[in-house]
Amino acid sequence: MAKVAQARSPYAVLVRSSAKSLRFCLSPTTRWAGRMLRTIQPIRLPDWYTRQFGLLSPARTGSTSRKSLLSPVLLIAAIIAIAAVAGCSTELAPRDTHATISDSGNISSFFYKMLLYVDIVIGVAVFGFLAVAIVRFRRAAGDDSLPPQNHGDARLELIWTAIPTVIVVVITIPMLVGLFQLAKHPDQNQKIIEIDVTGKQWWWDFTYKSGTANGLQTANEVHVEANTAVVMNMTSSDVIHAWWIPRLTGKRDATPGRTYPLYFTPLEPGIYDGQCAELCGASHAVMGTKLFVHPPAKEVEVEYAGKKYTLDSYETWAREQMASSVAPATPELEKGAKLFRDKTCPACHLVKGLEGAESAGQSVTTGPNLTHVGSRMTIAANTLLNTPQNLAKWIQDPQAVKPGAKMTKIAMTPDEAAAIAAYLTSLK
Amino acid sequence: MAAVTDFDRALAPVYHQDRENKYGLVDWLTTVDHKKIGILYGAAGLIYFLIGGLEAVLMRIQLALPDQNIFIGDTFNGLVTMHATTMVFMAIMPMIAAFSNYFVPLMIGARDVAFPRMNAFSWWTFFFGSVLLNSSLIFAEFPAAGWTGYAPLTSKGITPSQGIDFWWAGLTMLAISSMVAGVNFVVTILNMRAPGMTLMRVPVLAWMMLVIQFLLAFSFPPVAVGLILLAFDRTFGTVFYEYTMGGDPHLWQHLFWVFGHPEVYVLILPSMGIVSEILPVFARRPLYGQHAVIFSGIFIGFVGFGVWGHHMFTSGMGPIADAVFASTTAIIAIPTAVKIFNWLGTLWNGKLSFPTAMLFAVSFIPLFTIGGLSGIMHANAPLDLQQHDSYFVVAHFHYVLVGGAIMGLFAGFYFYMPKISGKMMSESLGKIHFWLFAIGMNVTFWPMHDLGNRGMPRRIYTYPADAGWNVDNLLATGGVVLMAIGTLIFVYNLVTSVKGGRDAGRDPWDASTLEWLCDSPPKVHNFDFTPVVYSERPLWDHKYSPDMAISVPTQAEEIHMPSNSWKPMYVSIGILMILVGLLLIGTLPFSWLLSIAGAITIIASLIAWVTEPV
Amino acid sequence: MSADLAATAPAEMAHDHAHDHAHDHAHDHDHDHDHGHADHGHHAVVENNFMGQPNIKLAMWAFLGSECMFFGSLIGTYFFYHGKALVEPMPDKVFSIGITSISTFLLLMSSLTMALGVDSMKQKKRDMARNYLFLTALLGAAFVGFQVYEFSHFVHLGLKLSTSLFGSTFYVMTGFHGGHVTVGVIWLTILAVLIDKGKLNPVKLPINVEVAGLYWHFVDIVWIVIFTFVYLLEFIQ
Ligand code: HEA
Ligand code: HEA
Ligand code: HEC
Ligand code: CUA
Ligand SMILES: [Cu+2]
Repeated sequence: MAKVAQARSPYAVLVRSSAKSLRFCLSPTTRWAGRMLRTIQPIRLPDWYTRQFGLLSPARTGSTSRKSLLSPVLLIAAIIAIAAVAGCSTELAPRDTHATISDSGNISSFFYKMLLYVDIVIGVAVFGFLAVAIVRFRRAAGDDSLPPQNHGDARLELIWTAIPTVIVVVITIPMLVGLFQLAKHPDQNQKIIEIDVTGKQWWWDFTYKSGTANGLQTANEVHVEANTAVVMNMTSSDVIHAWWIPRLTGKRDATPGRTYPLYFTPLEPGIYDGQCAELCGASHAVMGTKLFVHPPAKEVEVEYAGKKYTLDSYETWAREQMASSVAPATPELEKGAKLFRDKTCPACHLVKGLEGAESAGQSVTTGPNLTHVGSRMTIAANTLLNTPQNLAKWIQDPQAVKPGAKMTKIAMTPDEAAAIAAYLTSLK
Repeated sequence: MAAVTDFDRALAPVYHQDRENKYGLVDWLTTVDHKKIGILYGAAGLIYFLIGGLEAVLMRIQLALPDQNIFIGDTFNGLVTMHATTMVFMAIMPMIAAFSNYFVPLMIGARDVAFPRMNAFSWWTFFFGSVLLNSSLIFAEFPAAGWTGYAPLTSKGITPSQGIDFWWAGLTMLAISSMVAGVNFVVTILNMRAPGMTLMRVPVLAWMMLVIQFLLAFSFPPVAVGLILLAFDRTFGTVFYEYTMGGDPHLWQHLFWVFGHPEVYVLILPSMGIVSEILPVFARRPLYGQHAVIFSGIFIGFVGFGVWGHHMFTSGMGPIADAVFASTTAIIAIPTAVKIFNWLGTLWNGKLSFPTAMLFAVSFIPLFTIGGLSGIMHANAPLDLQQHDSYFVVAHFHYVLVGGAIMGLFAGFYFYMPKISGKMMSESLGKIHFWLFAIGMNVTFWPMHDLGNRGMPRRIYTYPADAGWNVDNLLATGGVVLMAIGTLIFVYNLVTSVKGGRDAGRDPWDASTLEWLCDSPPKVHNFDFTPVVYSERPLWDHKYSPDMAISVPTQAEEIHMPSNSWKPMYVSIGILMILVGLLLIGTLPFSWLLSIAGAITIIASLIAWVTEPV
Repeated sequence: MSADLAATAPAEMAHDHAHDHAHDHAHDHDHDHDHGHADHGHHAVVENNFMGQPNIKLAMWAFLGSECMFFGSLIGTYFFYHGKALVEPMPDKVFSIGITSISTFLLLMSSLTMALGVDSMKQKKRDMARNYLFLTALLGAAFVGFQVYEFSHFVHLGLKLSTSLFGSTFYVMTGFHGGHVTVGVIWLTILAVLIDKGKLNPVKLPINVEVAGLYWHFVDIVWIVIFTFVYLLEFIQ
């Protein structure tokens, strides 16, 4: 996948400054660690080595100490083994939080890497000391002598309070930098795509506020342009939802009665999946969303789920969407459109340009805007592929697809459903 | 060298009132003995652990493969909610209460807690509250808004199901129980110490219990207020969480997390205390840096009150609040580090042996460290925007809760059961339990880190096959099987050991604190004579430093133990009546009459309580 | 819940009894001990009552700490929502400082009578203490009466629990305070009656009354906070 230049991202600056401060603060730490090691006791390697492999005289390796000899070591080995199995597959997951494609997403990914290294160092230190202690300081059977009965050491205490303090300071400073970066509104002088996002049980309503698409309304699938800053204003009309595209950037809660912003600049054209990340009721699991990052100028080919797709430029897409719906061209479609009206669908859905469906414009927020539903890749919030069969299935029994779905189940024959589905499919 | 058998010579004290160990039904219902109450809490905790575990197993079955349809929608959400509510409030908390009830008085050389009847009241309030919560399945349906019950998902307009009403009513009772117990134990630990036991000689487990009692007493009121507001919204039509009326859903989040974060330290500190008791015994040397371990526990308790906002990084509090909460959160790594390193210091240079109790205690260190280190990742606000409400968080808190709290409590069971039952638990079964559980928990929860990294949100009942989450989920479900078998072996071991185990004697582990001085099981009055304490290891010094032996008095003490009482249970029943009356408003006409009857019950029982001869 | 703190007194007494013996014994024991090894003489046996507080008083302090968090959360909620109500009537429309000042004054006076009651109990003047307790309960009941009147007056003015955020926060906060006063009234009444009937252990009476007094003063202070920040602040604005 072609990487788009990241010159504008704060990523590089952040890496460099953080690495510098890390090195600055860690070098005394390593020296302290060395001293600490010496204060404790030198590790007499041959002793535990021989004991571990049962090379000592039988008197010292009694059966009790033998039986449980390797247990804690095995535990750690097991953890590492599972880590290897589960954590280290190299193929890119479709929703990988670390293969991020936006400036703000890269900030999160950077901190993951930074903290992963810090954690590994700490983990290795703690596990290492533990493993050595467990292996080296076993009580041999019949050994009734007492180990040293000292109560601690103030100097050590100071050292192992100071080291974590330093680490905490070191990881906190870049974090604060990143935090304020993420909260910064993009430069007002550049082109900004602004979108109002409303979470609903259990779908997403997007209203575009700028540029060619000003006033456009789409459901569940949201379209932006690569290398153009995006401002999303999150809100909700029932319960709290959270809009999350893992490959894009972190999530933001959509809170009823409040509006909170999310800023990002997508850097790589493509199609990305995501879903609601805040428990919002029965169908929370199937409240999906999709992000299309269009190329700025001419169309490009992108890969999604193993298939190739062509993405128009953002402007082209926006112009097409701003148009009214296409009128039904055949008697079949005419029938579907009539059924659509008769079955009271327009009570909740707007189809711009369809007579009888447009007048109900004021209630359009009850259900998704269907003006160009035929151009969707998926329906019912990224749950079903947009095929006529799936449409018919959904229309006949929404609750069977999504538990508790807020679209009423309207009685109709399979034929009627198929006709409506055909009409909706034609709404490209 | 003085021996523990010295104490066999002590004369039984002279009672001013008859009291003996009887185990009839009435004795259990009316008991005010801290040991019996401890056993009741322990039994309840174990049973609820099985129930909560069963709910986890059902969840994992649904999530084993993609696109399954076994438990979907609110059925699944109900399982999630009740799994967490059960595990946190009805499994771990009562197990902690079991240890604090049974062992805190023994450890500090007291004959009971400061207010024995109030203690019984705490137990009954817990018991009725937990039954009320679970009965939602029978009378309505499980609450399904997550254990965090975020507003406005819990509001009547959006979730009319009565499950939520059972949830607030049950949790309110559990909150009352915990606050009262908190007050009781603060007084017990501060005031009932044996002569000579200065604060710094109080065993670390008792210290950690002291810290959590403060946390309980001070952190439950905010969530109690949150629940009361919720109850008013649902029953009396107030508008606290109604956004259409200007209400702010963040109010609940703040009230909940002001409680919720200290609560997680309530769950972990006792296990840290247990580990701090066990490691020295099996390393045969004092706890390294005991004072540092104690002070770091206190420090964790304090700072724990100032970090709740780290659960709300994605909610839009603004960068300044985020920065404050993120920084204070990271600070908690410091006192925790002090504990971890002092445990390592205890093992270093020790003479280690590894019975099951020690295996669990030692495994606490790496497992908790893994959970703590992922916690440190969460504390990084920019990173947490990705990890929040993903399976990475699920991995984090199960490592600290299962790898930390549960491992510590298991260690405690193996270590302390000989004192409670007088019989040893089977070591071979114990080791099988340990390995199954330790491996199982890693197989279950480690892949969840990866799931989170791969973008899987939590609390979803299904996932598509092509999201790349299949292998990890299958592994996670596989691990539960190991944990479940291990747990069942543990229960079998525990139950059979009570009758069939080897005799334990006073001091099976060559331990160092006062609880090992009394009989196993202890007599009703715990100690035949009140021990005088000269160090933080009184029993050890008795055995190993001849000049510090505890001398056994030659004459019998005179004591008076409070007698059994029904009143605590009556008062709890009164509270139950009030709450049930309230939650039925709108369902059953005149249900408020039940509440009034409840209030009268409480007043009448209290008058009887005060005037009762003890 | 608060009442049973005092209620546990007899049990607690019994316990202290046991403990006293333990202490006596401990001191003897300590003596024996010192014979053998004088080098441990510095291990003086310390008195363990934390800061010299008896159990029941320490419990009351801990409980009041908990109550601080409780009322802190309620008052915090009130301020969190202050000025955010969308529906009339607003605070300035309903509050009448005059009436609330009178009830506040009554509650303040009740703190005085409570203090006098505690004092007379300390001086073993049982009857006088009983009378003061009755008087305190009476003043408390009058306060609750005023509150009932105030509530019904506000409802009359159109402010109901469900009217607005102001209605919800105001009634719940002051209602829980009123509830605490009511509990106190019942508690003091029962205490006074039991003193009158001689049903309570005379040795423990002073401390029982003192603990009830702590609770009463606390509830009083909470009202001062509410009165200042909720009523007076509105008045100043
Ligand atoms: C026993 C319970 C327990 C414990 C002890 C902890 C401990 C910690 N937790 Fe955890 N946490 C939970 C239970 C617990 N947590 C639960 C249940 C949730 C989810 C709730 C929900 O949403 O349902 C949660 C969620 C949670 C979040 C919110 C995540 C989100 O939803 O977005 C955060 C964020 O900061 C966090 C952080 C921490 C930190 C920093 C610690 C620290 O205390 C950890 C400190 C320990 C260490 C750091 C390891 C040992 C130390 C060293 C080896 C020394 C050196 C280390 C350094 C210098 C870094 N936790
Ligand atoms: C103390 C707390 C605690 C403990 C011990 C556990 C233990 C376990 N938890 Fe849980 N868990 C939470 C606290 C805890 N959990 C919390 C707070 C949440 C968040 C909820 C929310 O989002 O609101 C959560 C959420 C949670 C989820 C995420 C759900 C979701 O977001 O969709 C999962 C998924 O796998 C899970 C799994 C498990 C498993 C497999 C165990 C295992 O360790 C369980 C092991 C125990 C057993 C396996 C029992 C064995 C016995 C039997 C099976 C026999 C039963 C027999 C009889 C009853 C007679 N837990
Ligand atoms: C009560 C209001 C209501 C009525 C009437 C209604 N719908 Fe819906 N519809 C909704 C809601 C709400 C959703 C979103 C559901 C979800 O995804 O959870 C929806 C979703 C859809 C979708 C999927 C849109 C997308 O972008 O994913 C289609 C197609 C649809 N409805 C068609 C119809 C048809 C055809 C009818 C009439 C037979 C109809 N609806 C009647 C409320 C309604
Ligand atoms: Cu919307 Cu979850
Ligand atoms: Cu937390």
